[in-house]
Amino acid sequence: MSHTNPEPNKAKPLPSRFQVGKSTLYFDNFMNYAIKIGGIGVIAAICGIFIFLTYQIMPLFRGATVEFEQTLDLGNLEISAMGIDPWSQLPLFVSPDGTLNFYDIQDLDKEYNRGFFQMDPGLPDGVEFPFTRYSNHEDSAIFGTADGRFAVVQVEFESTHPDYRSREVVANLTTTPLFRIGLDDGEFEQIDYVDAGRNKLAVAIQRDQEGQRRIFAVTFSQNQPLIGDPVTVRDREFELSDLFEGEARFMRLTGDSDFVIVGTDIGELHLLARERGGFTNRQTIQPFAGRQSETIRSMNFLSGRLSLILTNEVGEMMMYSIFHSEESDERILGRTKEFQPALPTGQGAEFYSHTPRNKAFLVGGGNYAQIRYATTEAIRWGGDLDFTVEHALLGRRYDRIMFVDTENQLQIFTVRDPHPETGWKAYFGKIHYEGRTEPEYMWQSDGDDDFEPKLSMVPLIWGTLKGTVFAMLIAVPIALLAAFYTSQFLKPEIRRLIKPVMEIMESVPTVVLGFLAALWLAPLISARIPSVFLIILSLPIAVIAFGAILANLPIQFRKWVKPGYEFLYFAPFMMLTAYFAWQMGPLFEAIFFRVENPETGEVVGSFAVWWTETTDYPVRLRNAFVVGIFMGFAIIPTIFTIAEDSMTNVPQSFRSGALALGASRWQTAISVILPTAAAGIFSAVMIGFGRAVGETMILLMATGNTPIMTANPFDGMRTLAANIAVELPEAAQGGTLYRSLFLGALLLFAFTFFINTVAEVMRQKLRDRYKAVE
Amino acid sequence: MNDSTETLQQAPDIKQKETDNPDKTDFRQDYISFRNYNFFYGPTQVLFDVNLDIPERQVTALIGPSGCGKSTLLRNINRMNDLVDGIRHEGELLIDGTSAYDPTVEVISLRKRIGMVFQKSNPFAKSIYENVVYGLRVAGRKKKSSLDEAVETSLRRAALWDEVKDRLGESAFGLSGGQMQRLCIARAIANNPEIILMDEPCSALDPVATGKIEDLIHDLKKEYTIVIVTHNMQQAARVSDQTAFFYLGKLIEYDETEKIFMNPAQKQTEDYVRGRFG
Ligand SMILES: Nc1ncnc2c1ncn2[C@@H]1O[C@H](COP(=O)(O)OP(=O)(O)OP(=O)(O)O)[C@@H](O)[C@H]1O
Ligand SMILES: [Mg+2]
Repeated sequence: MSHTNPEPNKAKPLPSRFQVGKSTLYFDNFMNYAIKIGGIGVIAAICGIFIFLTYQIMPLFRGATVEFEQTLDLGNLEISAMGIDPWSQLPLFVSPDGTLNFYDIQDLDKEYNRGFFQMDPGLPDGVEFPFTRYSNHEDSAIFGTADGRFAVVQVEFESTHPDYRSREVVANLTTTPLFRIGLDDGEFEQIDYVDAGRNKLAVAIQRDQEGQRRIFAVTFSQNQPLIGDPVTVRDREFELSDLFEGEARFMRLTGDSDFVIVGTDIGELHLLARERGGFTNRQTIQPFAGRQSETIRSMNFLSGRLSLILTNEVGEMMMYSIFHSEESDERILGRTKEFQPALPTGQGAEFYSHTPRNKAFLVGGGNYAQIRYATTEAIRWGGDLDFTVEHALLGRRYDRIMFVDTENQLQIFTVRDPHPETGWKAYFGKIHYEGRTEPEYMWQSDGDDDFEPKLSMVPLIWGTLKGTVFAMLIAVPIALLAAFYTSQFLKPEIRRLIKPVMEIMESVPTVVLGFLAALWLAPLISARIPSVFLIILSLPIAVIAFGAILANLPIQFRKWVKPGYEFLYFAPFMMLTAYFAWQMGPLFEAIFFRVENPETGEVVGSFAVWWTETTDYPVRLRNAFVVGIFMGFAIIPTIFTIAEDSMTNVPQSFRSGALALGASRWQTAISVILPTAAAGIFSAVMIGFGRAVGETMILLMATGNTPIMTANPFDGMRTLAANIAVELPEAAQGGTLYRSLFLGALLLFAFTFFINTVAEVMRQKLRDRYKAVE
Repeated sequence: MNDSTETLQQAPDIKQKETDNPDKTDFRQDYISFRNYNFFYGPTQVLFDVNLDIPERQVTALIGPSGCGKSTLLRNINRMNDLVDGIRHEGELLIDGTSAYDPTVEVISLRKRIGMVFQKSNPFAKSIYENVVYGLRVAGRKKKSSLDEAVETSLRRAALWDEVKDRLGESAFGLSGGQMQRLCIARAIANNPEIILMDEPCSALDPVATGKIEDLIHDLKKEYTIVIVTHNMQQAARVSDQTAFFYLGKLIEYDETEKIFMNPAQKQTEDYVRGRFG
């Protein structure tokens, strides 16, 4: 600074004996920078992890993007229904003249493109089909005549690869004969047909000459002739119109052909069950009761044929699903979702299409369309179109939308939505999944084809907390009491031995603990739960009693117990107590957990049965209780070491001060040491907590990994960490599961980060209270 | 813990002592008595064959160069050295005629009888009030009024009352160094001990605070037996009745203070009190 000094007389050069050596300064500077760089590096690494995880899960919270692809002119083709192949490249159009028309839209400019072509399913010539329908569920077209007959054309798509770059889709048609259903002169309004193997069922709504709507069902059976293919034979016909009030307007059959669901003109929904050779009306519901409009405007199945999407005249939308009722022990219909907000068109759905790939559906009217996702009730995409929609179709692979507009133009859009089933609600909300009785938090990442992924993080968070809480219940009292005893009462020579032992305990790989827990302790404990209870109960009582006896002995005897060596007397005593408690367990069980075997009337002592009878919860081999003991074992050293340090580090002058005033060692420890060491003890507990939250191996091996949400200590759970380990091999890179696991990782990271931050802040706060100590 | 409370109640009647008797010879001359006392920290011997009788209700000063074992001797009296590893002693230490190390002696009640003020003030991380009543609380005294009274008398005696009476609920760490030291003295007298041990109580204090504490010592000796360690010769001369000079763990000379300072028998003592070595 001397050279900036304005004073004329220059500062005297510093005598060399005061000068700091160059190397000292150099090293000092270097260390300064090294430490800074290290610190910044750590922060950067943490931020990096955070950013990476966030980046990985971002796509989960985005909606779909829909982009215009192309328009194709369909000329003057008469279209009454529309379908598509599994690869979304061969849309087909059903004509009332009984033909199927295909448009090969892939590689339009290539010479192998077949362009527009027609296929004849082989229906009788000259018959008009005023009713047609195409069902995306089973790729079949239904044709209904004006004289009460119908035929089903099954379309089978096959893909071939003419060269390695392109795919050609070929359609094969199989046509049933014309079957008779209902009235000879009725006008078909609806026909649905389901082929569930041996059970085939067709149901039709017809308008008779007076304009009255009637509904008929025909069952089919499959005859196997001696030679050749099985033949479908028309079996019996039923009229269902009298099973309910009002006229049938909408009708759908469930995939197993067990139910006919009818929507009437008076806004009611009927579940007609096929049983005992006939049909009965099992249930009547008014889905839009009390709404602005009670009239049903549309009724369609979602993929899986178990859930109906209904709209009313003002565009309100609901989902009703078939599930097993626990009260009546029957399958019934119930409202599972209500989609918010209503359709912005303010009218019922004019078009609807679902994709078999997932639970998404395309819905809208006029020139407005949107994609919703049934499971999460979310709108994935919505927008105005610059044409009016006549027919709409959502691609089988959820990759394209095709509209036919009023000008007979085929408008093709691309859908990009890699994670339609995700979103806040999917991860953190209660969801009524298909086939379930009530809204739940569930995690289940895979299943069969019609499977609805269940991605809730809540059971995993629950499992994590449950495991942690049990571990803490075991570890905190033991570790803190041990630290307390070691630091305040034990002779220092012995204390010096404890530390390394604890460190060895800490370094036992948790996989070893998990292995022991799963294979050795779980069977042992599950059989002797009352023994463990008895130990937990009797140890503290016995120790306190022993201590009281010792304290009340005359000083002549008491003097043999040297301060700091009490454990020599206590440890064998405690071991004996534990041994007796363990041995007494079965007796205890026989006396206190008596239950009657309902079959034999025999009264036995069994904790497992007693527990199940009293709480309705099962007792499983791998449970939170066992995990708690082993996780406790894993985190005891962590808590112990930090807590012990903080108690030992309480300045000696505090202890001397208290002791000199005549406080006993206990009084000193409790009234002076504990409050002063509180900060350290607190952070010890929090760090133990953080460790338990992130612990994986023990949980993975000893919990059974069932993602259930019960507080039952004798049942398993699945934690966030174990979940990642379990599911990782199944997760395709970039897939929904893959990203969901990243979400789990981020939660875990945020969780531990939060705990550590709280611990540190609290520690600083508490330390400030005692900072004058130094 | 129970028995310790009982011991307190059985402690010799304090009232009897309060009759201020200027005639010192009425009191026991070997109230605290070291007989051929040797003391070891592990292998190192720190006290060598100490024979020292400390009279009742007088102030005895321990002087000597640093490291000569004054604190060690002091800490033996209330057995604070028990906390240290590997200590060992030989010879006898009698307090009012009974051996302090007798196995039947309850160390807690011993410490209740013997208050101690440390070289470095060490208030607890508690309020001023709680600091003063700490000893009473651990002895099981609960009555608010009697605690309040004890706080006021002890703080008054420690000449601290006027400075802190409005902030009794505040943390003791908010006090100045001198105030903290006086708080520690108040804390010791609140227990109503028989003996007060002071290890360089004024080493961190300014002359004014030192003066206050010296006045206090003067005042206290009517009721208490006081043993004080000090490096300040003037202080020893001012406050003490007897002075013991230690050198390298040995008791070199022990006599009336006046004699030690005016006319010491030993050359080493003379050199030391004249400041000729250290
Ligand atoms: N806890 C201990 N363990 C081992 N040696 C100790 C311990 N405390 C003191 N000593 C040793 O005992 C000797 C006497 O120490 P002591 O503290 O009694 O000296 P002192 O006379 O009080 O000195 P000062 O005037 O500096 O306070 C010293 O040599 C010291 O190193
Ligand atoms: Mg000293």
